[in-house]
Amino acid sequence: MSASLLLARRNLARNRARLVVSVGGVALALSLTLALDAIYAGVANQLTSYIDRSGADVWVAQAGVRNLHMVASWLPDSVTDEVRAVDGVAEATPILYSTDTIAAGDERAVAYVIGLPADARMGGPWDVVEGSARVGRGEIIVDRDFARKAGVSLGDPVTVLGGEARIVGLSDGTASLVNSVAFVSFDDFRAMRGGAPVVSFVIAGIEPGASPDGVAAEIERRVSGVTVQSSASFSDGERRLVTDMSADVISIMNIIGFVVALTVVALTVYVATLARRREYGALKALGAPNRFLYRVVLGQAFLSVVVGFAAAVGFTALLAFAVARTGLALELAINAGSVAKIALFGSIIAALAAMLPIRQIASLDPAVVFRRGAAP
Amino acid sequence: MTTLTLDVRDVTKRFGDGDTAVTAVRGVSLAVEPGEVVLIMGPSGSGKTTLLSMMGALLRPTSGSIHLDGTELSGLSEGRLPDIRLGQFGFIFQDFNLLSALTVLENVALVAELAGVKGKAAREKATALLTNLGLGPRLDFLPEKLSGGEKQRVAIARALINDPTLILADEPTANLDSKIGHEIMRLLRRIAKEQGRSVVIVSHDQRIRDIADRVLWLEDGSFKDEVTMATDPVCGMSVEREAAADAERNGKTYWFCSNGCRTEFLGS
Repeated sequence: MSASLLLARRNLARNRARLVVSVGGVALALSLTLALDAIYAGVANQLTSYIDRSGADVWVAQAGVRNLHMVASWLPDSVTDEVRAVDGVAEATPILYSTDTIAAGDERAVAYVIGLPADARMGGPWDVVEGSARVGRGEIIVDRDFARKAGVSLGDPVTVLGGEARIVGLSDGTASLVNSVAFVSFDDFRAMRGGAPVVSFVIAGIEPGASPDGVAAEIERRVSGVTVQSSASFSDGERRLVTDMSADVISIMNIIGFVVALTVVALTVYVATLARRREYGALKALGAPNRFLYRVVLGQAFLSVVVGFAAAVGFTALLAFAVARTGLALELAINAGSVAKIALFGSIIAALAAMLPIRQIASLDPAVVFRRGAAP
Repeated sequence: MTTLTLDVRDVTKRFGDGDTAVTAVRGVSLAVEPGEVVLIMGPSGSGKTTLLSMMGALLRPTSGSIHLDGTELSGLSEGRLPDIRLGQFGFIFQDFNLLSALTVLENVALVAELAGVKGKAAREKATALLTNLGLGPRLDFLPEKLSGGEKQRVAIARALINDPTLILADEPTANLDSKIGHEIMRLLRRIAKEQGRSVVIVSHDQRIRDIADRVLWLEDGSFKDEVTMATDPVCGMSVEREAAADAERNGKTYWFCSNGCRTEFLGS
C-alpha cells in the first residue's frame, strides 16, 4: 500500500464517529438512488413480464401502436390468417386485450385482461400454481396474490369485463405493484365487448432459424395496416415507457442523493483535514510535496465513498432480498447500469469533496509547526 | 580549511511594508561546521523561530543568503525546496508533531518513503534506527501511548531517517521534564559527534547549555553575545571558555570549571 493511501486509511479509521457519519451518509444517499432505480427497473420487469413470457417471437399491432399498455390496438379478424401466411411464421394466435377492474368479494383490482383462444399455444399464463392453464367459456385465471387478498379460490366467481367468470386457475408472477394479469376465454371477451370481429394483437412464433426482426419486417410488408415488432423490441418499448414516466422522479431523487452524499463527504473530509492541519504542516515542513498531501485527502474522500458505495449496494441487495420474501407485488431489480451510475456519482462526489481541503492544504504554511499548541 | 555545513550571511527578515513593517531578524550571520552543536537562545520575540524557519528553507529571507553544503537555499525555486528539506534537513519540534494515526514505525518509515526509499527497505531502516534509539519495544505503538521523552526520540529518529546534513531543533526540551530533556540533548550531541551532523537548537532552556559547542544569544533580531563551550578534562563539566580558567599542554588549550581542576590537571 502506498504511503499516502496508508495515511488516508489510518486518518479515516482513527476517528470512528467521523468514519461512521461519512460512510453512513454516503451509503444512505447512494442507497436511496440505487433503491429507487431498482424499484423502477422492477416495475418495468413486471410490466413487461407478459410480453417476455408470452412465448411469442413477434407482436402484430394496429398501425402506429408500439406498446401494450396505455394504448388501444384493434385489428380485423382476418389479420391472423394473413400473418400465418407470411414466410417464416410458424404459428399465430390472436389475443384480445383490455385494462379492466376485476372484483371478487370486497376486493377490486386493476388487471390487464387477456382474451385467449381455447387452442392457444402461446400468450397464456406461464406459471399456473393451482388449477388449469386453459380457460373455457365462463372461466378465468387470476393471479394468486389477488385471489389471496380477495379470499377466493378455485371455483369462486370473479366479476370481469362487466360479466362474471369462475376461477379455474391461479397463476404466479403475473402481479405487479399496480395491477395483475387475468386470462379469460377469447369468445367471452369478444361477446362482452359487443361481438365485433376484431382482435387486439396477433402474436406469432417463427420458424426455427428465422430472425424475429426479419419476420417482423416481412409481415409489415405483406400485411397492411399493422405495426410489427419482435418481442424484444416490443418489450424494450414498454420499458422505455416506464423510464420516460419515471425519469423526472428518478432525476430529482438522484440529485437529492448526490447533494446529500456530497455534503456529508465534503464536510467530514474538511473537518478531518482541519483537525490534522498541524500534522499536514509538519509533513510539509519535513519535505512532503503538496501532491502527496493531496493524495492523502483524495484517498480519504475516495475511501469513504468506496466503503459507502459497497455498503449501499449491499444494503439495497439485502432490501431486494427481503422485499422478495414479504409477498408484496414489488420487485427491486438492481441492474449493472444503476450500479455503474452510483459508482460514477461516488467518484464525482469524492473528487468534489476533496477540493476544499486541497485548497486548504495548498495554502498551509509549513511554519505552522513552530506555533505553539497541544499536539500528539 | 573547514567546509561549512551551514553558512548564514547577513540575513534579514522583514514582515509587512511601510510603517507597519516589522524586522524579525537583522543582518544575522552564522557559520556551522560539520558535527557542531549550536544553541541559539534569547527571549520570546527575539527572532529565534524566524531564523530557524529561514535556516530550514521554510521561509525566505528578505535579504542576505543561506548556504547549505554550498547550495544557496534562498536561490532555489519553491518546487525544489521540499526535496531539499526531505534530504538535507532533520526537523525536531517542540510539540513533536508526530502523525497521530500512524504507529511509531510508520511515522519514521513514511519520511523515508517520501524520500524515495521503497516500503520494505524504509521499514527496515526505520526499525533499525528506532531500535538503536531504544524504541524497539514501541514500534507498533501509536504516539498517544508514548511518554514525552519517547515521542521526542521518535521525532529524532524521524529527523535522522534520511541522513540529513543539518538537524534543526525548535525548543526540543520544552515539553519534557528536566531529566528526560537532558537525556534527549545528550543523545542529540552524541549523534552530532558520532555521525558528523550539525545541530542547531533554538531554546529558552538554560539547562541544556552544556551540550552545545557554542551558545548564541539572539535579541531584537540580532546576535548580542556568543559563548564557546568547552568540557573540563578533569571533572567533565561543561564550561564557558570566556569565563573559565585555562591551561596549555602540548600546544593545546584546555578549560576548567575551577582552579582546583586546573591544578589537578597540571599536576598530573
